[in-house]
Amino acid sequence: MSRALSWRAGLVWALLAALPALPFMSKFYLLLAFDALLFGAIAMSLDLLMGYTGLVSFGHAAFFGLGAYASAVLLERGVVSLWACLLFAVLVVGLYALVVSYFSTARRGIYFALLTLIFAEVVYTFFRYTQTFGGSDGIQGVPPPRLVGGFAIDTPLRNYYLVLVYLGLAYLACRVLVTSHFGKVLVAIRENEDRARFLGYNVQRYKMAVCMISALLTGLGGALYPGRSAFATPDLMLWTVSGELIIMVMIGGLGTLAGPVIGGAFFVLLQEKVSSYVDWYFMVIGLVLIFIVLFMPRGLLGIRELLGGRRWRTTA
Amino acid sequence: MAHDGLVLEVDGVSKSFGALAALSNVSIAVRAGQVFSVIGPNGAGKSTLFNVVSGLHVPTAGRVRFRGREIGGLAPETINRLGVAKTFQITNIFPEISVFENVRVAAQSRARESGRLPSLWRLPDVEAGAVDLLDAFGLAARRDEMAANLSHGEQRYLEICLALATEPTLLLLDEPTAGMTPGETKEATALIRRIATARGLTVLLIEHDMSVVMGISDRIAVLHFGEKIAEGAPEQIRNDPAVIEAYLGPPDD
Repeated sequence: MSRALSWRAGLVWALLAALPALPFMSKFYLLLAFDALLFGAIAMSLDLLMGYTGLVSFGHAAFFGLGAYASAVLLERGVVSLWACLLFAVLVVGLYALVVSYFSTARRGIYFALLTLIFAEVVYTFFRYTQTFGGSDGIQGVPPPRLVGGFAIDTPLRNYYLVLVYLGLAYLACRVLVTSHFGKVLVAIRENEDRARFLGYNVQRYKMAVCMISALLTGLGGALYPGRSAFATPDLMLWTVSGELIIMVMIGGLGTLAGPVIGGAFFVLLQEKVSSYVDWYFMVIGLVLIFIVLFMPRGLLGIRELLGGRRWRTTA
Repeated sequence: MAHDGLVLEVDGVSKSFGALAALSNVSIAVRAGQVFSVIGPNGAGKSTLFNVVSGLHVPTAGRVRFRGREIGGLAPETINRLGVAKTFQITNIFPEISVFENVRVAAQSRARESGRLPSLWRLPDVEAGAVDLLDAFGLAARRDEMAANLSHGEQRYLEICLALATEPTLLLLDEPTAGMTPGETKEATALIRRIATARGLTVLLIEHDMSVVMGISDRIAVLHFGEKIAEGAPEQIRNDPAVIEAYLGPPDD
């Protein structure tokens, strides 16, 4: 908590809040900033699993996509309340995550990753190859959600502030969580899950709980997406999206929360910048990632250490 | 007490892995406050007995009762919550977090919040108990060190701290002095005895080194090829021909 309230953190939040005031912040850049913060927040949610609990989910795109579809389905039918969209996303993603986490946490290591991937592929296939929710086109042209009464989140600026609030609340929730009793047990599970059992912890219950929390935070992020793009498509749930989320966590720094936010934003901006110059942008991104993994094993946040800052390990 | 001061009753327990009978019809009864040792050569079934008592293995036959309650086949976490804590023969700690955080996560297992909703946002204050334990085992000065960086002897002590932090009634020690020098072993043995007495613990100890158990045990059982071949006070065991044979081989060898 102390870190969340430190002056340095305050400065970061203030800068993010003031960002739209910068002269070059066109609508295009505002939407790019939206994506950067959105995927940063989702990578942070995944960090609860990867960095703190030692579980690699290869199916987070499904939580994201289901959240987006839940929101789009309501908007398309004229239910334009943002709160209704968020609530519906929580219900849909929560129900799906309950099933996924129940079965996935019964297995360890690579099996957990594979099970989350298989579940996500089933969801993707359903949305892509049935016409129930528009098939490969998904749901297009939905109206913007409304915050209260007639106040619609219909401009890039409003969308930006919405995602900033989401990131702020999600960060606060994650920070409280990892410094709590629960968070300490997650780290113990990561370090030595067998010993945690012999200390009286029902490890599977803890894993299920953290899966649910991570999935719900991701789903809430997904629910904000149709408001920015006016669509939800099956591509949001493609397994490559899950892979990108893992990469974001890795390059940001496992088990740091702030790191994956930076990693997510970095990834989104890098992708945008490089792809506007060359078609084979993913090769460039790949090389950057290999460099980071090889030479900065603690991720982008590890730069602080290289620069002689204090040791950064929030998970200890 | 309904269970007549018996903390642990192992009653005709057998455990087979396929065709291998690791334990055959073993019975022991441990009284409150006792230090009860199980000895035997390597492969005698000592660790299997522990794994049955602590919930890692389900017994193939027989019953295990803790303070009168059947615990055979319960999950390790459930058995721990009833008051049975186990240390491991091969050091089994949380390597990449600090020594203090190791003990903290063990101690908070008994906090009121544990397993309840408020545990998602509250961090119980277990500092005092954790520091006491680290003090008792001489680890207080190392509290902020990463556990993986401790010496072997220190890790063995941390191993015991973790088990004790869950405030057990019955402490299962699986070769606590494994890998220690004779000097360290002597010191550790005395320390364990002292702490067991101070905390009113009942201790079930596994050892293959006879010299360790003679000094601190109230009662000793000897396992050999999965069967109990002797039980009694240390003096009796020392002079039991069957025990000597199990350890040294038949006299005509």
